[in-house]
Amino acid sequence: MLCPFCQREFDETKLPEACKGCPSGGGCNNVRCPYCGYETPREPASVKKLKAFFKPKGREKKP
Amino acid sequence: MNKILKMIGAVNAGESSIEPRADAPLVLLVGNPNVGKSALFNKLTGQYVTVSNYPGTTVEVSHGHCPQLGHDVEIVDTPGMYSLLPITDEERVASDILSSPRVRVVIHVVDAKNIDRMLGLTLQLIESGRPVVLALNMMDEARTLGIQIDHEELSRRLGIPVIPTVSLTSEGVADLIRHLKTPPPLSMLRVECGTLIEQAILDIARHLSPASPIAPRARASLLLQGDLRERERLVQEKGEQAAATVLAIVAATRAKLNHSPHYYVTLALRTHSGQLLGGCLSTPTRAPDKIRRILDRICTTPLTGYPLVALVLYFGLFVLVGQFGAGTCVNFLEEKVFQSHLLPWFSSLVNAHIPWQPLRDLLAGDYGIITLGLRYSIAIIFPIVGMFFLVFATLEDSGYLPRLALLVDRGFKRIGLNGRAVIPIVLGFGCDTMATLVTRTLETKRERIICTIMLALAIPCSAQLGVILGLLSGSGAALAIWAGVVLSIMLLTGWLAAKLLPGEQPMFYMELPPLRLPTLMNVLVKTYTRMVWYFREILPMFILASVLIWVGQITHLFQIMIHNMKPLMRGLGLPDESAVAFLFGFFRRDYGAAGLYDLQKSAHPMTLHQLTVAAVTLTLFLPCIAQFLVMQKERGTKVTLWISGGVFVTAFTVGYLTHVVLTMVGM
Repeated sequence: MLCPFCQREFDETKLPEACKGCPSGGGCNNVRCPYCGYETPREPASVKKLKAFFKPKGREKKP
Repeated sequence: MNKILKMIGAVNAGESSIEPRADAPLVLLVGNPNVGKSALFNKLTGQYVTVSNYPGTTVEVSHGHCPQLGHDVEIVDTPGMYSLLPITDEERVASDILSSPRVRVVIHVVDAKNIDRMLGLTLQLIESGRPVVLALNMMDEARTLGIQIDHEELSRRLGIPVIPTVSLTSEGVADLIRHLKTPPPLSMLRVECGTLIEQAILDIARHLSPASPIAPRARASLLLQGDLRERERLVQEKGEQAAATVLAIVAATRAKLNHSPHYYVTLALRTHSGQLLGGCLSTPTRAPDKIRRILDRICTTPLTGYPLVALVLYFGLFVLVGQFGAGTCVNFLEEKVFQSHLLPWFSSLVNAHIPWQPLRDLLAGDYGIITLGLRYSIAIIFPIVGMFFLVFATLEDSGYLPRLALLVDRGFKRIGLNGRAVIPIVLGFGCDTMATLVTRTLETKRERIICTIMLALAIPCSAQLGVILGLLSGSGAALAIWAGVVLSIMLLTGWLAAKLLPGEQPMFYMELPPLRLPTLMNVLVKTYTRMVWYFREILPMFILASVLIWVGQITHLFQIMIHNMKPLMRGLGLPDESAVAFLFGFFRRDYGAAGLYDLQKSAHPMTLHQLTVAAVTLTLFLPCIAQFLVMQKERGTKVTLWISGGVFVTAFTVGYLTHVVLTMVGM
């Protein structure tokens, strides 16, 4: 995902270093950008499904 | 190694294996995410690809071979990296692969449209002592925008081949392959980072093996910038003694510098990139770019930036959150939905079917789960927080927040912080608990404590802010007094803390992403995401609050606590009933704010004087339980108790002084 603050891309599915030692143990459903530390809630599964449903079919993924 | 074999197309029957030799030289594709690296990799390798996890990690790495180069060369598509100084797992893996002695050529793939932001990594790769080829990818998009790059002149200046490519159409791929067959000579280009840094690099490099795959100069620079991975390599290579010597040089250098070595290196790379591109890169000035540049200047120049902040606060917070959210929407839900229909219906249902009075009280009493817990969360908090998150998402999606950080950086320095603290403070307006967690991203302990104090003392969360704005919106004077007092306390506390707490002042620097027009879908998705997260958190807490109050009422503990708070309330000139809002406020700030709202809608609302004093005191009041617990975890028990004690005393002292001054001026 793109960080909404610094616009750098990182893999939100991996537990970043910043989550280690956090009281929530990485289970708070927030995603922290490893570059700038900006925190944003993880997209709910319902939103991901909606996006996938409305995504135009047959379009090649931009490299 | 956990291997997952992925075949793209059918394997040519003539090829007995898609795996190159185990000691085959490597050609690496390196670059930022989203520059077309993988597409270029696919063009080079075609169907001869394996995807596997890098050993010991879950990072997938694609590797294969190029038919034109034969099995003697392995092409590797490394994970995206922004800098040789790794932050993420992906960057660490890319850095490890780059350190392999098998590397023959590094193809740095850049997005030609944004070459000015990516050339810094090219310079780092050149300094690493690897043969580098620069692939200016996505040239078709650059041409469409009218961007012209004199790649031959750039090649001459960099001392490496520079090849325009379009991975989707294979333009430039043949030229690229030609340079892979015969690796280009090493470039002698070096980036000067200042006398002290250069001396430190030289001193560190003396302790590194000259035969290492990565040039000692590059390794020394990474060690100076605190690269842990490079430190591990040094220990493995030379032992703990050598590592300790190098660390001593690093510490001594840092002591002499005003800012971190990373700052100086980054600045040098940016400056050098700009000089190299001067005369090679021509970008037409389009109307949208002109507008973006003007807006950038408006946002970051104090003369225009601060008035813009005031406008954003006025329209975003006061009008949308305070008047519309906390006023119009809350009134509608409270009166038209809950008070008129839902609560009477529910009360009659409970009274008809539940004989046991305590259970009736739990569900539908004055502090019942439905009558208070659910009503607070849906009728009061939901519209306020919803509007706040909508405004926040719009600002976030526009790219304004990094500019705000840059703008306030200078002012924040006077209170011991820097622009980076904008992140937790802005997030604190959403939820102080989360913001307190985010303070760990601040560089120094001093900053973290100062920011924690400010979050605990003077940053109201969205619900609290919205309710107070809604309640005080009828009187500009009351609103101005509240805002002025809270802001003054925040700045004074920060200034005092900065004077009293020892420690260094770190530098804030970041690359500004471009300003962009917020898209409706993004804004709605972000708002919805935050709302889901917020309600998952508060709804159980509000219900729990009702249960705790119910237990407190049955045991009379609640009444005892209210009774004991009455002297404090009277001292502030507030009615006894306002003690409930403060007690709620310790449990949850938003709960306390909703209690204040309820009090105003009761038969005996507070006067404007009382409302102003209550708003000031409640804003400065103790952090909620969740924030308290997070503070204790993040800062330790001793610091938390000191902060909480200080906040309690400050809140009531300032509240009392506000009451006295307002009485004197006759408000």
